[in-house]
Order: sequence, then C-alpha cells, then structure tokens
Amino acid sequence: MSFLEYNLKTVPSGLSKVLYLNWAIILLLTTIASVGFLMLYSVAGGDMGRWAEPQMKRFAVGLVGMIVVAMVPIYVWRNTAALAYVMSIGLLVVVELFGSTGGGAQRWIDLGFMRLQPSEVMKITLVMLLAAYYDWLDLKKTSRLIWVLIPVMLTLLPTFLVLRQPDLGTALLLVAGGGLVMFAAGVHWLYFAAVVATGAGAVTAVFQSRGTAWQLLADYQYNRIDTFISPGDDPLGAGYHITQSKIALGSGGWTGKGFMQGTQSRLNFLPEKHTDFIFTTLAEEFGFIGAFSLLVLYGLLILFCVVSALQNKDRFSALLILGVAMTFFLFFAVNMSMVMGLAPVVGVPLPLVSYGGSAMLVLLLAFGLVQSAHVHRPRGRV
Amino acid sequence: MTADRIEPPVIRKPLRPLASILKARATGANPDEIARENLRLRHEQSRDKLRLRAEGRLFLLGVCFFCAFTVIGVRMGHLAASEPSEPRAQASGASIIAQRADIVDRNGRVLATNLTTHSLYAQPPLMVEPQRVAAELARIFPDLDEARLVRDFTGKRKFIWIKKKLSPEQMQVVHDIGDPGLLFGPREMRLYPNGKLAAHVLGGASFGREGVHSAEVIGTAGIEKAYDAFLRDPGLGDSPLILSLDLTVQAAAEQVLYGGMKLMNAKGASSVLMDIHTGEIISMASLPDFDPNDRPRPLTTGDQSDSPLFNRAVQGVYELGSTFKIFTVAQALELGQVNPSTIIDTKGPLTWGRHRIRDFRYYGDELSVSDVIVKSSNIGTARIALGIGAKRQQEFLQTLGFFEPTQVELIEAPTGKPLLPKRWSDISTMTVSYGHGLSSSPLHLAAGYASLLNGGTRIRPTLLRQSGPQHGERVVSAATSEKARIMLRKVVKGGTASFGDVKGYAVGGKTGTADKPKASGGGYYKDKVIATFASIFPAHDPKYVLIVTLDEPVETSGPKPRRTAGWTAVPVAAEMIRRTAPLLGLRPVIEPTPDLKVIRASN
Repeated sequence: MSFLEYNLKTVPSGLSKVLYLNWAIILLLTTIASVGFLMLYSVAGGDMGRWAEPQMKRFAVGLVGMIVVAMVPIYVWRNTAALAYVMSIGLLVVVELFGSTGGGAQRWIDLGFMRLQPSEVMKITLVMLLAAYYDWLDLKKTSRLIWVLIPVMLTLLPTFLVLRQPDLGTALLLVAGGGLVMFAAGVHWLYFAAVVATGAGAVTAVFQSRGTAWQLLADYQYNRIDTFISPGDDPLGAGYHITQSKIALGSGGWTGKGFMQGTQSRLNFLPEKHTDFIFTTLAEEFGFIGAFSLLVLYGLLILFCVVSALQNKDRFSALLILGVAMTFFLFFAVNMSMVMGLAPVVGVPLPLVSYGGSAMLVLLLAFGLVQSAHVHRPRGRV
Repeated sequence: MTADRIEPPVIRKPLRPLASILKARATGANPDEIARENLRLRHEQSRDKLRLRAEGRLFLLGVCFFCAFTVIGVRMGHLAASEPSEPRAQASGASIIAQRADIVDRNGRVLATNLTTHSLYAQPPLMVEPQRVAAELARIFPDLDEARLVRDFTGKRKFIWIKKKLSPEQMQVVHDIGDPGLLFGPREMRLYPNGKLAAHVLGGASFGREGVHSAEVIGTAGIEKAYDAFLRDPGLGDSPLILSLDLTVQAAAEQVLYGGMKLMNAKGASSVLMDIHTGEIISMASLPDFDPNDRPRPLTTGDQSDSPLFNRAVQGVYELGSTFKIFTVAQALELGQVNPSTIIDTKGPLTWGRHRIRDFRYYGDELSVSDVIVKSSNIGTARIALGIGAKRQQEFLQTLGFFEPTQVELIEAPTGKPLLPKRWSDISTMTVSYGHGLSSSPLHLAAGYASLLNGGTRIRPTLLRQSGPQHGERVVSAATSEKARIMLRKVVKGGTASFGDVKGYAVGGKTGTADKPKASGGGYYKDKVIATFASIFPAHDPKYVLIVTLDEPVETSGPKPRRTAGWTAVPVAAEMIRRTAPLLGLRPVIEPTPDLKVIRASN
C-alpha cells in the first residue's frame, strides 16, 4: 500500500502532531541519556565541564532535531531514503579520501563544530533505504533471487567502505542491521541459512589464512579475537581492557560502591572509560542493580518500538521502526557483551550513554524517524 | 532457489465462477460485483498470509531479543556475584610491577634487580599554568628545553611524555610544582647495582611497550635478552636466575685486566676464567666496557668491534696463534705418532709451495716434541701437523668445538662464529696447527683447553650455575691429557711464559702472538698483534682454565718495544691468578714432581 491509500483525514496535522508523539519513547531516551550524564560526571571526577555538559548540550540539540524530524510526514522520508543513502555513501568515500585519522582508523570528517562519523549515519540510512525498498517491492517478489541480491548489494557496498577505514565493529553492525531488516521483511529463511553457512566457512578461512601471505584481517584484529578467547594471556596488552572491566564489574557487586565511589575507572585503570567502556563505571558504582536497570530501560525502549511497529499498518513505517530498534539493540548488546567479555572488543559505544557527538545525534534523529512513523501512521480502516 | 519452490502455485478460486455469474445474471444483479468481491477476498487472504508470516518473523526476533537480554543479564549477575573483591584491582596493578626476575651470581649476590620508580608525563588540557610549569621543569631538568615545553603545553597535544625515569628527589620537586597537568606513572626499572661489573654478560634492559601505568621491561642484550622470556615468566615467582659468575672473582679479574690493558698500552682486552670440569664461566670480562644501567648507543659508523658494547670474549674472533700448538701436539700424541721425547726436525725455513714458515727465532735444527711446545716452534708444529693430515685435524678441532659458535647463554653468542680456511689445503693444515688461518673467540679457546686438559672430555661453556661436572664425550685419552698438561707446565717453568709462574699455584699454559690481519684484507700488520695466554692451574690437578687476550699490546720498558704474549698477556694473567686463586678457594701447594708422573704414565 502506498501513502495515497492513507486515510489522511485522521492523521494529525500542524502543531497538534506534538500530542501524538510516542512520549514513552522520548521519556525512555531521556532517562537513558540522563544515566549517561551522571556517569560522565562521575568519570570526570565530579567535573561537569569535561564531558557531562557537552553531552547534555548535544542531547538537547538531538532532541530538538528528533522532534523536527518527527514533524515531517513519513512519506517524505520514504521518498528521500534513496537520496539519503547515496549521500551517506558519498560521505564514506569522502572520509576515505580526506578524513582525519583517530585511534588508528580513518573515520571522521571534521565539520568544525562536531566530528561527523559517516559510518554512524550510514547505519540509519541503510535501514531507511531497505525499508523503502521492501515497501516498494511487490510482496510476491520478496524472496526471488534477483530481488534479494539488490538489498544484499546495498548492504555490502557501505560495509566494504567501512571495512576499509578499518572499522570492523561498524561493518559487522551494518551487515547485521541490513540482514535483520531483510529478515523482518519476510525474505525466505533458506537465504539466511545459506548466509550463516557461508559465514561459518568464511570464519574458518579467516583463521586458516592467519600467518600466511594472503592473511585476511589485520594483525590487531586477530589479536582482538585472541584476546576475546582468552584475555588472561596478555593482561598488559590487548586483554587489558577486558580484564580491567571485568574486575570493575566484579568489584561493584550487587549494590555497587555508590555514586562517585568507583576506583577502577576513576583511578585511570581503564582506558576509554568515558566512551566504549563507560558501562564498567556504571556497574562498579551502582552494581548489578544499576547495570540491570539500564538493561531494563533499553529493553523497554525496544519493546515500545516493537509495539509501535506492530500497530503500524504501513509497511515502510513498520520496517523502519523495527530497523532502527534493531540497530539500537545491536549497539548496546554488542557493547555490553564486549565489556563483559562475551564478545571481542570491536569499539562500539554504549548508545546514548557513551561520550560522543555524532553517534548520539544520529541515534536521536533515527528515533525522530520512528516518531514520524508513529505520528503519521495510517489510522482507521485501510 | 526458484520462486516456485518458495511460493508453490495455489489452485485459486476463479474470480468469476461460471455458476455464480449465471445465477447473478438470472437474478439481474451485476456480475462484476461478484468478481470485485472475490478479488477483495483474494487480496485479504494473501495479506493475511503475509501478515501471519511477518508476525512469525517478529515473534522470532522477539525471542532473539529476549535471549540476548537474558544472556547479558545473567552474565551481569554472574560477574556481580562471583568477583566481589575490590583488592583484585590493586593486586593486578601490583603484578604489573616487579615482573622481571632478579639475576644473581653463584653465591646469590644480586647482579640485576628491579627498582620501582616513576615516569613523568603531562596532560596539557589539565594544566593550569603552562608557562610556569615549563620554566620550573627546565630548571629541574637542565636537559629539557623550556621553549619547546611551552610549545608542547600550549599546543594541541593532549599527552606528552616528559621523563621516563625519575629519582625520588626529582619526583618530590616536580610534585612541589603542584600543577594538576603533571602526572606520574609507576615504572619498574632494571637496576644493575654493581655498575659496570659483568656488563657484557648482563647486557642490559630497556622499556618495551609503554603505557601510563606500566611499561614492559625487556632485555636488550646479553643474558637479559637471551633469557628474556624466562625472566619475564610470572610462573618463576620470586626465584632468581642464578649465574655461574662469582661477583668477587669477576671484580678482581676486571680490575687486573683493566690495569694490565693500561700497562701494556692495549686498545682492548678480554679474559675468561672457567671451571675446567663443569664448564661454568666464573668470570668473563671484555674491555672497554660500559654501564648496563646506561647502555651506550651502538656505533653507527666504523667497526662494531671497537664499540664498548662488543663482547670480545664471545663475539671477537681472532687468530689465537701459538696457543693452538698444544692441540696439534695432543692429537699427534693421541694418534701415537709421537711421544713427548720424539725428536722433530725444526730446520727452517719450511718451504711449501709459495709459502715459507719461519720461527720467531732459531731454536736449533731439531727439538723434542715437548720442546716444540716449550719454545713454540712453528716449523716443528707444522711438521707434526703434516703427519696428522687435514682431515683428521679438522675432525679433532671440530670435536673441540672450533667449528661452531659457542652455545653460551648470551644473545651475542651466535655472532661469534669461527672463521675457517675456505679450502683446507695442506698449507692450511700447517698454519692452523700453530693458530693462523683459523679465527675463534677466547671463549672457544677456553672450552678447547678445558676439554683437552681436564682429563679429555668435551666441555661446553655455560653461564648458568651447574650442580656437577659435565660428562661430555671423550676427545683425548686421560694419558694424553696428562702429557699435554706437563708440557704446558714446562712452558711456564722454563719457556715462553716464564712470567706466568705464580708460586704455589703451578700454572701451566701456552702463549700465542698473532699478527693482526689488515682490515682492508690482504696481509698482516707488522706492528699490531693479538697476544693471548691460555692457562690452567694448578697444572698437576687442573681446576680452572684462564684465557687472557690483549688487543694491540706493546710493552715499552725495554730498549725495543715488545709485543709478544710472553711479555704482555702472561704477566697480566699471572697477576690475575695471584689475585683470584685465593678467592676461588685454592691454597698454595707444593706441586708433586712431574717427572715421576711421566714415568708412571709412560709405563
């Protein structure tokens, strides 16, 4: 069905749209971000100015951006999805050619007021495009080989560009995000089975190739995998992050040491304590209860998104909401698993909590899309 | 896969069933109405089917979400419950420090240990008064440049190393500057409390990978590098690496060697003192030396063998001259070709093709085998070697270890590879027999002497303390070993090494003076020699072997400059024995009459 079939009269218009926003999601986002402000304040040793304040400003900007995005009818976003995708690809190419280098990888474009990571933007525009694609595609064709190959190509193109930076974590998230949207769109499960089998083969190939002339990954990437498998082997080197963060988590116990009382993270044991590893500070200071509460908040956010998607009878909207929710889910699931030693260290931030401009901004804008889909959902009998 | 398999063709209800159409026509209703209704039903059917599938998918995703949440939650609980201890953070921090094992001498005295110190770094964004800090730092550390510090502190950099090691006093003064942008990181530093002592054996250590909170200490040379992995093994606990060196003997040896080098105007010197039965190196010195606490940089130009880092005793391969004669004679004795009193023709010069072999001076037309050694006759040794032949000579020298680098536990050992004649002709056999044309390190010579004279079993030198004698393979019979010892004792009692007699310690040995080959290749210097004295003591019951080598010595007390080992290396070695023998626990004894033993041995 297309937007022409909407019963437009029942969709709110003008400023009254604000009343129809999904306020539960906004409340959850704000709560999660507040946890982040609290942690950044604590990690800086009780200093607002260092990380917490800039983060708050960015959140405010992001929130405004989200509402602006939510005000725009969803069909506009659907019709511009392809354009957004092409622009993101363009940005990735630009970063490849002119980007500044940070932490050994070329990921940013310096815009002056903020550093833009095109790979962050890419995650969302890919979801948008795939949702629009499946909305446009005749339902019967969903599982035909040629029509499956197109979204696969659309996913692999940015993945390839991101891998060249190199940023393994984001590349994996892109593939997983694209795959999940395809899955939700109803592509036949045999395709996924085939991909999983190929993936298993590829992993074997990657490990077999290690040390040979045609080695497929960089040495540091192998090291991260090794470290993941047994972090104790190299406690001073690559395993340092994981060992220390596990200690921090352990030392928090059930109730934690109390706000601003964490030693592990405050005493500089942990590198990247305010970005990818901020979860350890939370776990140390608020213990299992605090950490689990954050997990529950994330879970509720996902739940509200899924409910909103189920209510939505527009295919593009439903797929978009699900795609954003799944991208978000992948973010925090991978980050938490990584910090707790369940996954290799791949450099994925904890969404809305970790310090970092472009990730937060992009996520909030993505939730703006979710809101837009929610506000402009078709109502009444279709 | 084809679409057919995914969506098998359904036998669909026709849109315009004939019966209904006809019935409609009969009743006057619009048949198109029926078709439209059927189309709508069909659409709804297919939409319901897809919705069902989509909901199935969503349900599956929901299950996955739930599983992931559960796994993460359970892991959280597991971590929270099972690792409650905070001190683990400190413990793991402490384990970063004090990781490298100590190195001690054979009596447990410390040669290398660790010192906890601090490094100094700056985080300019936290700095309050960069200008003042830079000025203060430049005052405390005169080697820092104030202008540059100001530039660094006010620039864009967020992190700067200022000093890798600080003394406690320096740390206090820096602390007193009181700027939050100056930070200290703990450092474990390698300390060699004895300074230059045994520098070449120990080598040195430096920082490997560095972080703010710790830095790896890695061995850069010597035994520190050769045993790097061992020393860093946390499984070692507190147990140190025990060397065969004796700190006291090493100190005495280095002192004597240094004095001797200066006295004999040599540009370099080395000595090796080794237990003749166990192969333990009790002291090993190479001059010029360095302080491993502050290891100099390797030379970028010129000959590396002039660097103080160069271990002459292990890496330096020299033609060791007449010290080799005893190997030739011992082999001839072992083969039964001669006995100590056999008369050898020493008429010279000995001409072989284009080559002429001469003696240092004329010793008469014939000498006994024993006197060939005592007087050090090149011609006599060469004649004996001709009887042995190239093949057997090579085999013998190989069993003594002269064909391979020594296996001593230093990273530099493989570089001390002996230089052998390219083609082992008869003339090579003759020159090698008196120590020319084959270059080896002083340590090779020590091992060769030990193997030959300890009763005839192969010794491989080692720097680690041993619990008992090595039982190496036999190289010569005990009788041959004994005869060789008696000859060497005679060299000291009345031959070329008469300055080497130390009362009560029955020194036996052989001198060697070899002209240095020109670095450019082709020929030898006339006035530059390597003087070597290879000795054992006490000769009647040998306990130790001592090699002293001087590089370009010249002794100038006489009317003419004297360079032969008898005038240069021998007195230095004698002084070394005089000083170290009591430290080694040897008491002066009256030696038994050797002649009686000769009779007994020849019976």
